Amino acid sequence: MRRVRAALVAAAMCLAGGGLVFAQAEPPAINPLAGDSAAVQAGMGMFRSRCADCHGMDARGVRGPDLTQVWASGRSDAGLFRTLRRGVPGTEMPSVGPRTSDDEVWKILAYLKTIAAPTITDVVTGNAAHGQQVFRAQCAGCHRVDGTGGRLGPDLSRIGAARARGAIVRRVRGATEDFLEGYEPVIITLTNGQTVRGVRKNGDLFSVQIMDGRERIQGYLTKDVRAVTAGKASAMPVFDVQRLSESDLTDLLAWFATLKGFDPSVQ
Amino acid sequence: MRLTLSRLARLALLLPLAAGVTLAAQQASGPGPITNDDLVQGLKADGSNWLTFGGNYANHRFSPLTQITPDNVAKLQPLWTFQTNTLGNFETTTLLRDNVLYVTGPQNVAWAVDARSGRQIWRYRRELPDNLTACCGLVNRGFAALGETLFMTTLDAHLLALDMKTGAVVWDATLEDYKIGYASTLAPLVVKDKVIVGVAGGEYGIRGFIDAYDAKTGKRAWRFHTIPGPGEPGFNSWSGDSWKIGGTGVWVTGAYDPDTNAVFFGTGNPGPDYHGPSREGDNLYSCSLVVLDPDTGKLKWHYQFTPHDVHDYDATEVPILADLPINGQTRKAVLFANRNGFYYTLDRLTGKVIVAKPFVQTTWAKAIDPQGRPMLETGHTPDEKGERTCPDLTGGTNFWPPSYDPRTHLFFVNAREACATFYGYKSEYVPGQRFTGGAQQLVNNRDEKPFGALRAIDPVTGERKWEFLMPTPSRAGILTTASNLLFSGDGDGNLLVLDSRTGALLWRYQLGATLHGTSPITYMLDGRQHVLVPSGTTLTAWALPEGAPAGRP
Repeated sequence: MRRVRAALVAAAMCLAGGGLVFAQAEPPAINPLAGDSAAVQAGMGMFRSRCADCHGMDARGVRGPDLTQVWASGRSDAGLFRTLRRGVPGTEMPSVGPRTSDDEVWKILAYLKTIAAPTITDVVTGNAAHGQQVFRAQCAGCHRVDGTGGRLGPDLSRIGAARARGAIVRRVRGATEDFLEGYEPVIITLTNGQTVRGVRKNGDLFSVQIMDGRERIQGYLTKDVRAVTAGKASAMPVFDVQRLSESDLTDLLAWFATLKGFDPSVQ
Repeated sequence: MRLTLSRLARLALLLPLAAGVTLAAQQASGPGPITNDDLVQGLKADGSNWLTFGGNYANHRFSPLTQITPDNVAKLQPLWTFQTNTLGNFETTTLLRDNVLYVTGPQNVAWAVDARSGRQIWRYRRELPDNLTACCGLVNRGFAALGETLFMTTLDAHLLALDMKTGAVVWDATLEDYKIGYASTLAPLVVKDKVIVGVAGGEYGIRGFIDAYDAKTGKRAWRFHTIPGPGEPGFNSWSGDSWKIGGTGVWVTGAYDPDTNAVFFGTGNPGPDYHGPSREGDNLYSCSLVVLDPDTGKLKWHYQFTPHDVHDYDATEVPILADLPINGQTRKAVLFANRNGFYYTLDRLTGKVIVAKPFVQTTWAKAIDPQGRPMLETGHTPDEKGERTCPDLTGGTNFWPPSYDPRTHLFFVNAREACATFYGYKSEYVPGQRFTGGAQQLVNNRDEKPFGALRAIDPVTGERKWEFLMPTPSRAGILTTASNLLFSGDGDGNLLVLDSRTGALLWRYQLGATLHGTSPITYMLDGRQHVLVPSGTTLTAWALPEGAPAGRP
């Protein structure tokens, strides 16, 4: 490992012009640990413990994108290294943090490379323009894209980069692997028996903060209401084939695939 | 008329009235330097001061003060708030002496604060190197004090003596080289003429130790390695050269028993944390309670809670010393709620297990056998594929201080119910770099969420007497009082006051930040009982309104 580190340092010094701006050094273009079996093994452990919660044990994407497609879609080793190092600002993707060494980042990428698809397997078909019309009719009441639409559900302006296609299909068709924090369904029963339904933004033993169906944000003290109940079903309705045909869904996904948001770290 | 000193002395002898004058003169000059006897007395005398990390050497955090009661606690008023104006959060227990608070904060900034007004008297700030290796936040857990000197450990692994009046450095001792992973965060323990400290760095391949320094000079008196060296008993509990980088830090303050002249320290995890094959064997004295002679540093006995730990179950919890009625006899005991999920009552003289019972969901061991060894469940060895174990790495409890009520013999602890998938893989040791050999993923989803519970445990039986449930696990320390109050915090920033007999909620206040490893203290100031709470970057002082009827029973 020392030799690899030395190589990294040497490469960094060349790129940084004699090491004057050492801390800002560019990563090497190619993963120095690619194909190293020990690195792949350790990288798998690191990936599973640190990344799999969002990207899935198989890296096919749950709350995060499908990572088996990233090289086939044109990302480079160095670009992915930077994404791990810096995270993606304004998204759920954090930086690996300063305590993770460069070697460890390369190990994670060495593992991912072994399960990467050689070519894109998620080929986009469908009519994106029609997909946008479907969105306006069916989704925009609760979801917002580029500043237009509702706010009860998550903003989808970068859904094309943030979620795997399979995960979106499962979600639209009614699967709820888990509620997203800030969007958990909640029902508040007031003392007069009226109920307020909404999504939970925050809360503690003594209070709850919600956005209700009319996008009113409001806090309630639990002592002043009859009950605060966690909803069992997601606030998002199930869009089965009666409600959203296969071809409409395909078109919707085609439009979603164009929504990448603003992501300066993607190269 | 001018009074000479001799005339005044003669007057004092002749006139009973003059006794009041001399007393007033004494009060104006303060109570004098802190003596060893003050520290041994702890809160026993009158509870008006708070001079050690745990309130007394036994770490009870139990105050005899009774002005604030279950009946009037809801009338508590905030008196002032102090802001650190630093990055990072408090993890400290404050000291109070003669109406002045002594406080350590994040990044080795420390203060003397006027307890009447919340105004700073002095501030100390250490220049820290920018390549610190401290694993888990730039925190500090508090001062120790003796004479007119305060003692503080530092993130770059030094021990400092500061002048209580000015905050000036009196001496500065180097514990070890911070560049290879050593740091220090615990509140020192003053015993007689020595200051006893330990080092953190269990995630950086250190070889841990406990040190004692001369309180006057800063000269090192002894060092106890928490990992034995070649030829020492326990050395062969580490395979190959793993002992050299086996971690086993000491980062939480111990207890001192003057009767048996012994100090009790919990030790940290072996390293690398999760990859057992890197260090075959029991890995003594990691995850243990080590009991040392404070004069020499010699080991009296040890008890290893978790032999060959692979889940980062540091035994760096606060040990509590108590005399318990067991089978009609009074037994000297150590009470210890462990990160590994078990609650233990040990014999204080021998280390023999009296009680060992899970106090949270615990899946890695069935029970503790009569010899004191955990009976392991299979399938709890972390590897690349991951294995699920409860509790998670943060544990059933951790560094946040518990409390003990010696009248009711109840032990109070902020417990966590959480599970995780643990991963282990081979890591290479690089000096100064993280060396954990794995990681964990917390189990946290719609069906299974971690939660917290403040629990009262009978140390004689290990049975739970009551619990107070919380939706978010808490890391708050606990204070109890002789008026049956329990002060602590939940995991969402609320200061909680419970009835210590029943666990019933009496009062709460949303502070805006949790008591992260901090613990409230209580003291007397101008005839009123005060409660001081560090949370986030603030201290807040509370008391009953002036002129409120005293709540003495």
